[in-house]
Amino acid sequence: MAEKLPMIHRSTFLLPPETTATVTGTLPTTHALIILNQRLPKFSPLLWEHAKVRVCADGGANRLFDNMPELFHDEHDDVSVIRQRYKPDVIKGDMDSIRPDVLNFYRNLGTKIVENSSDQDTTDLHKCITYVLDLMSDDEKSNLCILVAGALGGRFDHEMGNVNTLCRFSTTRIVLLSNDCLIQLLPSTRHHEIHVLSSVEGPHCGLIPIGTPSGSSTTTGLEWNLDNMEMRFGGLVSTSNIVKGETVTVRSDSDLLWTISLKKQTCS
Amino acid sequence: MAENLPMTHRSTFLLPPTVTDTTTYALIILNQRLPRFSPLIWDHAKVRLCADGGANRLFDDMPEMCCCGEDVSGVRERYKPDVIKGDMDSIRPDVLNFYGNLGTKIIDNSDDQDTTDLHKCIAYILDTVSDDRKSNLCILVAGALGGRFDHEMGNVNTLCHFSTTRIVLLSDDCLIQLLPSNRHHEISIMSSVEGPHCGLIPIGTPCGSSTTTGLQWNLDNTEMRFGGLVSTSNIAKGETVTVRSDSDLLWTISLKKNSHEGEEGKLHDSQHV
Repeated sequence: MAEKLPMIHRSTFLLPPETTATVTGTLPTTHALIILNQRLPKFSPLLWEHAKVRVCADGGANRLFDNMPELFHDEHDDVSVIRQRYKPDVIKGDMDSIRPDVLNFYRNLGTKIVENSSDQDTTDLHKCITYVLDLMSDDEKSNLCILVAGALGGRFDHEMGNVNTLCRFSTTRIVLLSNDCLIQLLPSTRHHEIHVLSSVEGPHCGLIPIGTPSGSSTTTGLEWNLDNMEMRFGGLVSTSNIVKGETVTVRSDSDLLWTISLKKQTCS
Repeated sequence: MAENLPMTHRSTFLLPPTVTDTTTYALIILNQRLPRFSPLIWDHAKVRLCADGGANRLFDDMPEMCCCGEDVSGVRERYKPDVIKGDMDSIRPDVLNFYGNLGTKIIDNSDDQDTTDLHKCIAYILDTVSDDRKSNLCILVAGALGGRFDHEMGNVNTLCHFSTTRIVLLSDDCLIQLLPSNRHHEISIMSSVEGPHCGLIPIGTPCGSSTTTGLQWNLDNTEMRFGGLVSTSNIAKGETVTVRSDSDLLWTISLKKNSHEGEEGKLHDSQHV
C-alpha cells in the first residue's frame, strides 16, 4: 500500500498574495476569513486580501467596523470609505452582540445577514464554518483554508470552545490567529510537514495533546525534538519549543495542536 | 471517610480581606499585563513572587492602578515582591536593580529548561511554606493567560501537574482552576465579582461521565471530550455549582468588570503591611 503523503502546512496567508503564486509545488488555496468578537489582529487587511469569502460572527462585525479604519490611520481615505472597502459578505449569529448602527451600516451596503436558529450546542465559530463549507464547491473545499481572527484572548471558555471547534472539524484546514500566534490541528491520521516562513512566524512553538494523551509523538526540526515520546496534560506538553531551520515534521498517534508565534510586523 | 467531603471553592480573594478567611494566599506574577484587581490580590497574599518578566509588569503597571496621590516610586516600594525567580532573560536591568536594592530575593534559574517559570515558582512556594500553611494554601497567578498560546497551555499543564495544590489562574476576564477527579466539588459563586459565564473543560483526557448542578445546562452522567461536547458558554444559576467527574476538569468562570474598583476607578484604600 502506498504510504500516505504528508499533509503540508505553510502560512502563505501571512505573506502578500502576489508572492504566493510563485511558491512552487503548491496548488492554489481558497481562503475564507471568519472574524470573531475580539480586537482585530494587526495583519487583518492581509488576511482579508487572501480571502474569497469574509464572514463576521455577530460582534465580530463591531470589531471590523471599529478596528479596520485604525489599521489605516496614516492613509488619507476617510473612515467610511475604509469601512465600505472592508465590507463582509455575511454576518451570521444570534445578533445579540452586534451594535444596531453596525448592523444597519453593513445591511445597507448589501452584506447578507443570517440569523442563527437557537442552537445551543455549537459555538458561533462552528456555525460560521458550517456556513462557509455549504457555500464552497467541492473543488474549492479540497483546497480550502479557513482563517479565523479573534478566536483567542478574552474568556478562556470561549477560547476552548473555539479550539474544540477545530477538533470537531478535523478534516478541514482551519487556522486560529491572534497578534501573538497561530493554532492549527494536526490530525493523527496524517504525518505533517510544516514549512516555517521565518520572515513572519517563529521561532517559539509548541505541540499540545489537547483532548487525549499521546502515546507516541515524533518530530524533526525543533530544538527539543520528540522521539517516540509520550505527551499528556499533567506530564510532558511541548511548549516554549524553538523551530530550527525551515521545516518541522510531526507524526503522532493522537491529534495535536500546533502553535507558533507570529513576528510583530506593521501591515497597512 | 474524609475524601467523601466535597472540595469547596470560593473566590474570596476577589473581595477585600477579612479576618475570618483562614486561607494562606501566595501570589505569582507572570509576564502579562497586570489584571485590574492586582492590588486586591496583593493584599491577600502572604508571599509575593515575580517570575522573571513579571517583575517588569509589576514595576510598570502597579503605579497605574494606585493613584491615591502617591508618587510612582512610593507605589513601587510599597509593592515590593519577596522573590524574583526565573532565568532573568526578560526582566529589565533597571527593574532587577530596583527590587534587588529594596531587598527582594533574586533567584536565577537559567539552567532548568524542563519546567515552566510558573512551575518553578510553585515549587519554590511549596518548599518555603510551612506544613500548617500548606493545608490551607491557595496560590493566585496573575498573567497566566493572554499572549502566546503555548505559554497558556504550559501554565494550564502546570495546574494539572500540581493537581493536589489549589492554584487559580487569573486574568481580567476570567479565572481557571483544576477540579481533580478524585473529589467532588462545591463551587460557591460570588455573583458580585464573578459569573455568570462559565465552562468545564476536559483538558488532556476525555471524560466518561460528568454530573453537575447549578448550571443553565447541567451535565447528567454526560461524556465530554475535545472533538465532541465541551461545556463552554454555560451559565451559573444561583449560588452554588456542584461538579463530579471521572476525570480532571478545568473550571472557568468570567470575572465582572468594575466590581473591584471604587467610585473614581481607583482601588480601595487598604492597610499595607
